[in-house]
Amino acid sequence: MGILQKYYRQSATYKLYKGLSEIFYDFVDTLGKITENGLHVLRCIYKIDYKELIEQCSRFGVSSLPITLTIVGMTSVIVASQVALEMVKQGGGHFIGMMMTILIVREVAVIMSGFAIISMIGSSLASEIATMRVTEQIDAIKVLKVDPICHLFVPRVLSGIIMMPFVTIIAAAVGVIAGAVTSDLFAGLSYRAYFDSAWLGLYMKDLWVSLLKAVFFGGTIALISCSCGYYASGGAKGVGLATTKAVVWSFVAIVIWDMIFAIAFFF
Amino acid sequence: MSIEVKNLVKKFGDNTVIDNVSFKVNDKETLAIVGFSGSGKSTILKLICGLIPKDSGEIITSKGDIAMVFQYSALFDSLDVADNISFALRERKDLKKKYTEKQIKDIVAQKLELVGLKGIERLYPSELSGGMQKRVSFARAIVTEPNSILYDEPTSGLDPISSTLIENYIVRLKEETNAASIVVTHQMSTIQRTADRVVMLYNGKIVFEGTPEDMLKQDNPYTKQFVTASLEGPMKMTEREK
Repeated sequence: MGILQKYYRQSATYKLYKGLSEIFYDFVDTLGKITENGLHVLRCIYKIDYKELIEQCSRFGVSSLPITLTIVGMTSVIVASQVALEMVKQGGGHFIGMMMTILIVREVAVIMSGFAIISMIGSSLASEIATMRVTEQIDAIKVLKVDPICHLFVPRVLSGIIMMPFVTIIAAAVGVIAGAVTSDLFAGLSYRAYFDSAWLGLYMKDLWVSLLKAVFFGGTIALISCSCGYYASGGAKGVGLATTKAVVWSFVAIVIWDMIFAIAFFF
Repeated sequence: MSIEVKNLVKKFGDNTVIDNVSFKVNDKETLAIVGFSGSGKSTILKLICGLIPKDSGEIITSKGDIAMVFQYSALFDSLDVADNISFALRERKDLKKKYTEKQIKDIVAQKLELVGLKGIERLYPSELSGGMQKRVSFARAIVTEPNSILYDEPTSGLDPISSTLIENYIVRLKEETNAASIVVTHQMSTIQRTADRVVMLYNGKIVFEGTPEDMLKQDNPYTKQFVTASLEGPMKMTEREK
């Protein structure tokens, strides 16, 4: 029996089973911890440290703005440059503004802002908190009888919730303008024709759904990044793993949120 | 008595790190916990201050705060010295509204003076030497007037003179605060200068309990090996550590 067991443990089937079960366990464990921390944050969300909140808002909004605007602006240029001329050729030039605006306001601005914020702010939040964990700073907070989740998570999650809609609005404006400029340059579409079409296709619902999405994205990115950092272990390698995990989980989470919103509001 | 540990057991997986350990530390007394690396010394401190849960046994502490000085200081690197020391006064639920800004400033100045670092309130941890960081972490630990202070290898990584300075502050803090103190250490100088009693751990069990003078008598094979730093003796390094 012992020999059979030994051979079984060396087999590819066993290794595959073990690998998959570890991935599944890690997935359930991480999801559970993020949910638990989210509920903890909700319980102490009224305990706001305004000084820290302003600092985090500045980090979340102001610091991420240049890269976010660059990404959204360039995405608009890419889309408009490829589509505008074709649409004009096919006689659909008067739809370009509408198409670009709907695309940017509903999706590109919010999801690209989300991706930019994950890469820039999410990774930095995760590595900051992970470093605090591996250097025993979080233990020190606990020994001083201060709740580390309330102290560290609340201002960061709130700053995500508050700042992400602002970033999204500015990014959307930049995206729409970049689309107009590109359409003019590549397809000779006048600004007036672009914006007339844009106003025709844009509804208030597009805007508020996008802002609601931004609220969820911002909160989710901050919560996941803080949670992944909070459970880091094992020095520099642990900090790196926590940061990677935070980025991957945040990317997947906002795509899932995006899908839920698309089905709930536009299906 | 201020800290009493009864039949304490802690396991990590199948590995029993603390195996039925019992001891007492009275007010105004300093107990040194010594032993090999990995013998469970720091785990005992983490169990006492509630950072990790115990598997069985009892930890009885008298009312009041337990403070801990961490091995690598664990100062908050995004805060300056004053904010590090006043952290609990500003953030703790029961202390938050107790002090005015002026009182907090005075308390910080007083604690810094106690550890010999007057006037460094606005410096950041990265601007301090290892010894200074340790002393700031002492000041942060005693800001809530704790009944018990736990020191996790307070002199590790310091030069002999800085070590002596830290040891003097451990004695001074005991006298000023009347706290029960536990010092986890490897260093004989720290044991001799700070401890009233010594407990030695090996494989999670207590193998010696006595005064620092008893430890030097070398009638216990464990303390004899520890004091003489010999490879020969009852304590064996694991294959992994060789």
